Amino acid sequence: MNGRVYLDHNASTQVHPEVVAAMLPYFGERFGNPSSVHSFGREAREGVEIAREQITNFLRVSKDEVVFTSGGTESDNLAIKGVAGARGAGHIITSPIEHHAVLRTCQVLETQGFAVTYLPVDGDGLVNPDDVRRAIRPDTILITIMHANSEVGTIQPVDTIGAVARERGIPFHVDGVQTFGKVPIDLDGFGIDLLSFSSHKIYGPKGVAGLYIRKGTKMVSVQHGGEHERRRRAGTENVPGIVGFGKAAELRAREMEAEATRLTALRNRLWDGISARVADVRLNGHPTRRLPGTLNLCFRHVESESIVLGLDLKGVAVSAGSACTSGNVEPSYVLVAMGVPLDWAMGSVRATLGRLNTDADIDYVLEVLPPLVERIRSLSPAAVS
Amino acid sequence: MNYSETLIDHFRNPRNAGMMRDPDGIGEETFDGCGDLARFYLKVVDGRVADVRFQTYGCGPTIAASSAGTELATGRSVSDLLTLSERDVAAAVDGLPAERLHAAQVVAGAIRAAARDFLSRRSAPSGMKQHV
Ligand SMILES: Cc1ncc(COP(=O)(O)O)c(C=O)c1O
Repeated sequence: MNGRVYLDHNASTQVHPEVVAAMLPYFGERFGNPSSVHSFGREAREGVEIAREQITNFLRVSKDEVVFTSGGTESDNLAIKGVAGARGAGHIITSPIEHHAVLRTCQVLETQGFAVTYLPVDGDGLVNPDDVRRAIRPDTILITIMHANSEVGTIQPVDTIGAVARERGIPFHVDGVQTFGKVPIDLDGFGIDLLSFSSHKIYGPKGVAGLYIRKGTKMVSVQHGGEHERRRRAGTENVPGIVGFGKAAELRAREMEAEATRLTALRNRLWDGISARVADVRLNGHPTRRLPGTLNLCFRHVESESIVLGLDLKGVAVSAGSACTSGNVEPSYVLVAMGVPLDWAMGSVRATLGRLNTDADIDYVLEVLPPLVERIRSLSPAAVS
Repeated sequence: MNYSETLIDHFRNPRNAGMMRDPDGIGEETFDGCGDLARFYLKVVDGRVADVRFQTYGCGPTIAASSAGTELATGRSVSDLLTLSERDVAAAVDGLPAERLHAAQVVAGAIRAAARDFLSRRSAPSGMKQHV
């Protein structure tokens, strides 16, 4: 344990030192605009294209199938509005536990005359592929289901859903922001036509991401301007960001598998330790079909934020499931959709592990968390009555 | 979220936490749309608050404001507490972020309710709810 313990890797990650090193020249002598014809432009262009190659090698797709964007949010917007715009009208199938980048985009499309079906999820947060099949209508134009949920980490059966989509000839978009570089993604095997993936979740810089668009997918662009990214996304490229993203993806190819094994073990040790020391605690999300480093818990009769604050004061960074805005505590919409009872959902805490976490970090959390929960519970009237 | 040092101190080391046996007044307040709940117990001697205890379910600021609320109430006359404001409680933790003002609201409401409870018990016919 080195001072502070960061357990919020699903929110963002520290940029890998090798990524920083790869980016630096592109703030300096390689500062050109990749669209310029002179040598400065060519050098910047080279950086972007090397990154594209690193990413397309990682995803095993061709170079004209990846568009760089400003973030996972933009990738989701481009995928959904891009397909919707090409069709003009129709029906979209999604789930209620998608990231807001997907949910709110679908909601906006509803106001524009598109129909949207929000499929239910089960207690583990899984979408049932049979529900997808049953929801398909003659006018269904898109199925968009996330690969893994950022809050609880449940990994959806995207392969089975992809097979359904392919059988019916419906484009299938997957928000892979939480899985890209963490668990294997087989675009052809899973039947994925569009994949959103982001840099800052995999030790790359923020504000840069990608969208994989399978050849032949009918799309319109959402952001208009110059001829960048084969006219699919206008705007001068974020060259240093893209270079860093490419490097981050290349590093994941090397580190992903071993890290997944290590983080799964660490996460399980954390859960075993907490459940042995703290009463009235439950694990949210699928017990095994889950992101390697994700542990989402509910402590009954404790409010999430008091734990987050208490841990923060001990140097441990986790995130709260329920969010208090303007005096309104909203339990996590993901937990609500999964049917977690309200008195549990209010006490949800998410710990998400990453490459710098060690056994000593877990030991430290196991030392400070149980007495904290006990202390907060002892203040609560619910614990007495 | 940026909290004052006073607030953090009350959260870390809450004063006067826990239940009170045979209180002279009990008051509770919950916050709509938010699960927060504060309960205050008063012990009154000669019309003044001699002892206060709280039990609270809520976020860090609500716990801290509860603790600070007990210090505010101690030694005050009960009739004074009837007009205890949200602002008084917020000031006692050196201010609250705008989106956490509910913490002061819940605590001020619970203390006022405890004061009202004491006064209504006192005016109740003898033999009822008398505590010795
Ligand atoms: C599943 C999912 N989709 C989309 C996003 C948005 O990505 P970005 O932060 O790169 O805009 C996130 C990030 O929190 C996410 O977890």
